[in-house]
Order: sequence, then C-alpha cells, then structure tokens
Amino acid sequence: MKKGILTFSPQVLRILALVVVTALIVLFFASQIENYLNGRLFNRISSSVAVMALIATGQTLIILTRNIDLSVGSIVGFTAFATGSVIANNPDLSPVLLVGYAAILGGTFGVVNGLLVAYARIPSIIVTLATMALFRSALVEYSNAKSVTSQNLPAWLVDFPNQVVFSLGEFQFRAGFMAAILVVLTAHIALTRLRPARQFYAVGSNPEAATMAGIDSRRVILIAFILSGVMAGLAGFMFVARFGNITVVAGLGFELKSIAAAVVGGVSINGGSGTVIGALLGTVLVDLIDNSLVRWPVVSEFWREAVLGAMILIAVAADTIFIRRLAKMRAARAHEAAIAAEGAKT
Amino acid sequence: MTKPTLALRSVSKMFGMTAALTGMSLELFPGEVHAIVGENGAGKSTMIKIMTGIYQPTSGHVEIDGAEVSLHGSKAARLHGVAAIYQEPMVFPDLDVAENIFISASRGLWLDRKATRRQAAELMAHIGMKLDVDRVASGLTLAEQQAVEIARALSQNVRVLIMDEPTASLSAHEAAELRRVARRLADQGVAVLYISHRLEEVFELADRVSVIRDGEHISTNLIADTTPQQMIAEMVGREVGNYFTKMASTTTDEVLLSVRDLAVKGVFEGISFDLRRGEILAMAGLIGARRTDVGLALFGITPATEGEVRFKGRPLKPRSAQDAIRAGIAYVSEDRRKLGLAMELPVLWNMTLATLATFLRGPGLVDTGAERRMAEDFRKRLNIRTPDVDIAVGKLSGGNQQKVMLAKWLNMNPELLIIDEPTRGIDIGAKAEVHDLIRGFAARGGAVLIISSDLPEVLALGDRILVMREGRQMAIVNHDAADQQRIMALAMGQEKAA
Repeated sequence: MKKGILTFSPQVLRILALVVVTALIVLFFASQIENYLNGRLFNRISSSVAVMALIATGQTLIILTRNIDLSVGSIVGFTAFATGSVIANNPDLSPVLLVGYAAILGGTFGVVNGLLVAYARIPSIIVTLATMALFRSALVEYSNAKSVTSQNLPAWLVDFPNQVVFSLGEFQFRAGFMAAILVVLTAHIALTRLRPARQFYAVGSNPEAATMAGIDSRRVILIAFILSGVMAGLAGFMFVARFGNITVVAGLGFELKSIAAAVVGGVSINGGSGTVIGALLGTVLVDLIDNSLVRWPVVSEFWREAVLGAMILIAVAADTIFIRRLAKMRAARAHEAAIAAEGAKT
Repeated sequence: MTKPTLALRSVSKMFGMTAALTGMSLELFPGEVHAIVGENGAGKSTMIKIMTGIYQPTSGHVEIDGAEVSLHGSKAARLHGVAAIYQEPMVFPDLDVAENIFISASRGLWLDRKATRRQAAELMAHIGMKLDVDRVASGLTLAEQQAVEIARALSQNVRVLIMDEPTASLSAHEAAELRRVARRLADQGVAVLYISHRLEEVFELADRVSVIRDGEHISTNLIADTTPQQMIAEMVGREVGNYFTKMASTTTDEVLLSVRDLAVKGVFEGISFDLRRGEILAMAGLIGARRTDVGLALFGITPATEGEVRFKGRPLKPRSAQDAIRAGIAYVSEDRRKLGLAMELPVLWNMTLATLATFLRGPGLVDTGAERRMAEDFRKRLNIRTPDVDIAVGKLSGGNQQKVMLAKWLNMNPELLIIDEPTRGIDIGAKAEVHDLIRGFAARGGAVLIISSDLPEVLALGDRILVMREGRQMAIVNHDAADQQRIMALAMGQEKAA
C-alpha cells in the first residue's frame, strides 16, 4: 500500500486527492439538500467555472514564478466592457477578431504589469495592487458611466456560452465550459511538455540557480504576466458572453478568487510547484462549495465567506502535511534501498 | 604547444575603490586539473564570476582557445563550454533530478520525458552515483545535490569545469569519488579548475596549483615542485599555528551528558556515550552515517524515540529546540545558509536570535544597549572581522559568518555545545581560530560534541572519537589510539567495532 502511493508523483497524488475531496463534498451536500444532485447544479457550476478557470490558469503561471497578480479582476472587467462595446458598435465583427481583441487587450495590461515587475524590479504585490486600482479607474473613465447591456450584443455572442455541445443524461456540456476546458488543457500540455515552460518552475523554485543556469528570469516573468493578461482577457470575453450586462464593477474580487482556486488546487504560493489542472479542480471545488452553501440552510449567508476561508486554510495545511510525510517516506525508502544495495554487494 | 582552453590575461576587477582582483593571469590547459588555493577573501569567487560571465573585468580580458572573448552573462559562458559547480549546490528544490539536470538544455521545443530520464540515469551512472532520477531535489542530501550539478555540467559538454570547494560538505568517501570524477573529466580533455581548502586533496588530485592572495597571483607550480608548507606560507604570508596538532585534553571527572541506547526509529539506533565537562567528543563517519541526526535528537528537533539521556544527572527528554536551550544545550548547524544565519539581518540581530529573551527589561522591551555591548564584546573576543555589527551577516566571509554563529550560541552560556561541521568551507587561518574557540570553551568547563567530516579536524580536536556508520555506533576511540586509517576503516565498515 505504502509502496503503491509512492509510485505516483506528488502532483498526481494532489490531483487524485482533489477529485476525492470534491466527490466527498458532493456526497455530503447530496445527503443534506433535497434534490441537490441534478443537471442545474452542474450547469450553474460549469458556466461559472468557464470564466474563473481561465483566470486561475493565468494566476497559476504567475504564482509559479513566485509572483502574484492582483490586477486580473480589473483586467477582466475592462476587457469585458471593451469587448462588449466594440461588438455593440460593430455588430458584424467576426467572432475570431473579437476574441483576438480581448486577448490582445488583456495581454497589453499584462505587459504593463510584467515590465514593472521584471524590469523595474518592483515587487509584484505592489505593482498589481496599484494597477488593480488603475485599470479599474481606466474602466470607469472609458465606460463614461454607461453599461453594456445584452440588447446591444449580437445573438451569437449571448447564445455562445449556452450552446449544448453534448449531454450526458441531465448534464449538459455547454460551449463556454468546453472552450474553457480546452484552453486549460492546452495550457496544461504546454506547461508540462514544452521545454521553455519548465523555466516558469525554475525561476520560482530557485531564482538564483535559474540565473546561474543561464535562464533570463526577467523575460520569463514578463511572459508570465503577459500570458496571465491574455487569460484574463479571454475571461473578459467569456464574461460578456455569459452575463451580457457589464458595469464598472465587472470582475470585482476575481483576483482573490483566482488565487484561492490556485492555492486550493495545490499551487505553492512560494512558487516552483503546481499544475493548471490542479488550479482547475481548485476552481471547481471553491465554486462547488460556494454554490452549495447557498442552498444549505444550516449555514447562514453571513458565514459563507468564513466557511470558504476555513476551507482554504484546511486545504493548504493538509497539503503541506501530506507532502512532508511523502518526502519522509521517499527518503526512508531511498535509504532502505541504498542499504539493501550495499548488502547485496558484500 | 597547445593553446590554453581558457586564460585570464592581466584581469583586474574593481568594486568602487576596492580591488578584488589585480592583474590576474592564469592559463587552463585541456586535460589538466588546476588547483587554486588561497584564503577566503583572496579573490577566488571574483575570479570564478569573471570566468562564468557573471562579472565583467574592469581591465584585462578573458581568452578562450587563444581568442579574446567577452563573456556577458552565464549563458554566454556556457555556450563557450564554461560551467561551474559550487559548495552550496544550485538546484531547483521543486524539480526532480532529471528536470534539474536538463534545465538549461535548449534542444527541441518538446520535452521527451523518457529520453530525459534515461540520459539522466546514464549521467548519474557515469558519475558513479546511485540516485533515483524521479526524486524531487528538495529531499536530496548536499552530496546528492552536488552530483546533480555535476551531471548538469556534463550534459552541457563542458570544456572548462570550475569546481568551487566541491568536497567541502562531502564525507571522505564521497570526496574521493568526486575527485575520481574530476580526474576522469580531465582525462577526457576537460580543463578542470579545482578550488579547495583541503591541501591533502590538492596534492592527491591536481597537476598544477596556483596560489592567490589578496586578489593577486602569487605562484603557479607543478604539484611535484611544491610542498604543503610552501603553499600555506604563500597563501597566508605568515606562519600558521598548530592547526593539525592535538592539544592537551581538559577533560574532568564530572559527567555532564550521559546517553544510553539512543535511537530515532528508522534513522539511527544504539548510541551510547558519556561526555564529561571539559571534554571534546568528535563524531566521525561518512555522509549518511546519521551523525547530524544524533545531534538533532539531543537538541530536540527530532525527538528520540528510544533510549535515555541524562544531563547534569537528571533525565532529559527535549521535545523541541526550546527545551534543549532551556536545559543549556546549544547546537551550531552545519548549514549556515539554511539553518544557521538570517543572511539579510545584521550581525547584531543574528547574535541574539536565540537569546533575545535574556535582553528583556521592564515591560518586555529589548535593552538594545546591553544587546549591542554583548555583540561588541563577542566581536572582539572572537576576532570577527567586520566594520560594525550592523552590517548584514551575508556580506561577511565564510569564516566570519561561522564566528557569528558561534557567538550566537556562546552568548547563551551553554554547558553543552554541539557543533556540526565547525569549519566547513572556511580558510585555514579562520579554522585555527575556530578551533581555539572550541578548545577554550571546553577548558572553561563546557562539554563539546563535534560532528565533522574533516578527519584532520576530528583528530586535532577530539579527546575521544565516536565513529558512526549507517545509523549505528561502530566504536569510541581514544585520541591516542586513533589515526586516519583506523577511523576511515571503522566508518567504512572494514574494521569491526572494538
């Protein structure tokens, strides 16, 4: 049994653990809430995950390099509004161009963050705390106290997230969700299989050694912020498609939610370790609990945030203990193997 | 005549008004192991940083294969085949062994996990290390991390391999393995620049040796044309005291610490010894002998699971470092960077890190005057060379950092001092000073438990020597019955316990 656990890498074990915990939570609420486990729950969570998973993926890239991006919520808000305005004024614009516009706009905000963090060497928490406010104010200025409403948007855009790609019984897999999953999977494959992607981990794991190994840390960090901006831009597109009505408060608080999702998903806040699949599962878990608590009469509305906060603490504490145990077991096994090998020689 | 693979031509490096290197010239030929010796602060690290492209020379230039090059950044140096490994390994703690080795590889956009693992295993086999390439680097010992670094350099087709005190943290057996690797690389035509404080290994390994002092080149000799005495004299420019000589024991009759069958399950077992006031007990053994774990158990970091410890006649079961400190036990760690010092904090704060509570006055405020007086007192007594005690401790040389560590623990007035690798990576002058401090502490009635992989040091300090092997106590040898061969034989399991 022990040996069996050790054959998996910590990252794989984390993901398995998240899946198990998610299943347990679903079972728990199913026993507490009548008519809980149905298609509506799945649809609600999957449409919300469609937006948040993209942001969490970008946030994961940033955290891997030992940085943080507090401005993603404002970037989502701005790109959502800007994308909505552009399509409202040019209803015949092609969907591809519109998505590209959102991505480039988000990436541009990322460039600002990245240059300030990587080249001006200002700590990311300060840079993005400032740009969070600046980007939001830019949105207020740009919007001129108007809102984008779904009436101004073309039908294809508003319908897109809800188109059913395929269904399994009650569970509908809709286009918005599937598109987000596709992006996350692409990011996952790129991050685990592309050689340059390993540099995100290297820079976050040991910046000094990264420099010694000839890695251009500043460029890596800049790219992480640009990619995070692009992901927030795509999330902005999803946001306008899903809600239709965009005001200046769009995306408010998303930065903290995305950090929570990444951390619950096993991304180390000290950088250097974590996966976007983990962050995706973290997003699902956070959203699942958020959604379920609304329908659970035992916990009043005021305590929902507290439960969520406690969950983040428990997740991270459990993860730390678990990884430490695992490292000990591995070291012990290596030690035993060494002794056995020595014994075999003599 | 073959051209030198790498050469420094009258290289000088200024930092503001201070000269770190002055007119340094050096030639490294393919196939030679070229040793560099010199005290800490002699300019060795500046020289390495110029060779690896981290610093640019203020004047003079670097040549590769006879052609002048400018090495801007470590990437440029690597492209010219120059790689360096250090005493403190530069690994990525979150990545596994294979990923660590191939982190700077640039061939191909996609990672081939299978091929990477196979090549990593081949490189490990080439070095002669048995290491699971899937293990995450944070769980590796220093020796294993170093092996990873060498494998990384090998994977990049090194032509000049700079080894900066690579064996300082290795046991004798592993150090010999590493020297074998260095020799094999040289035989394959690599120019190896080998920096070491251990003269015996310089004589064993090197073809030529250069002495540098105060940023200047003093001499370069064929190893056959020089002697240790001559080299030491050139290094320090003065006679060194009795570093290798054992001084008279100050052991008394009063047993301070009595350990019986101490064990931490699955780590070590059956450790039994008495330690008297005024005595220095040295623990010898190879890396993996689990000596540090015994020290950590006595200090309460990883509490013992079995056995009995009596301290000053009373049973002691420390469950935390705090328990041990309260009882009067101090533990000076082997890992200055990770466990010993807060490098960014001032010398003063580091000294009082463990004892700040004793400086509290009135309503719980720190008496900064008393704190500073203590620090100044220790600066004088331990001869810590620093402009003032407010400087960040990371800015000091290794030897002076080690003295700050000692000050940090001595100022709590411990009765038992456990010191893990007291002189790792510090120069001979500072070594002698640290040894004097340890002897002085014992002479004043303290008891000392030393853990050291440096055999001459074990023999110079230990009144008795406890040899461990793979978590077991092999023997306790009296100083007059001990010599290097006997202790090595015990540590390697070739002589049965006496």
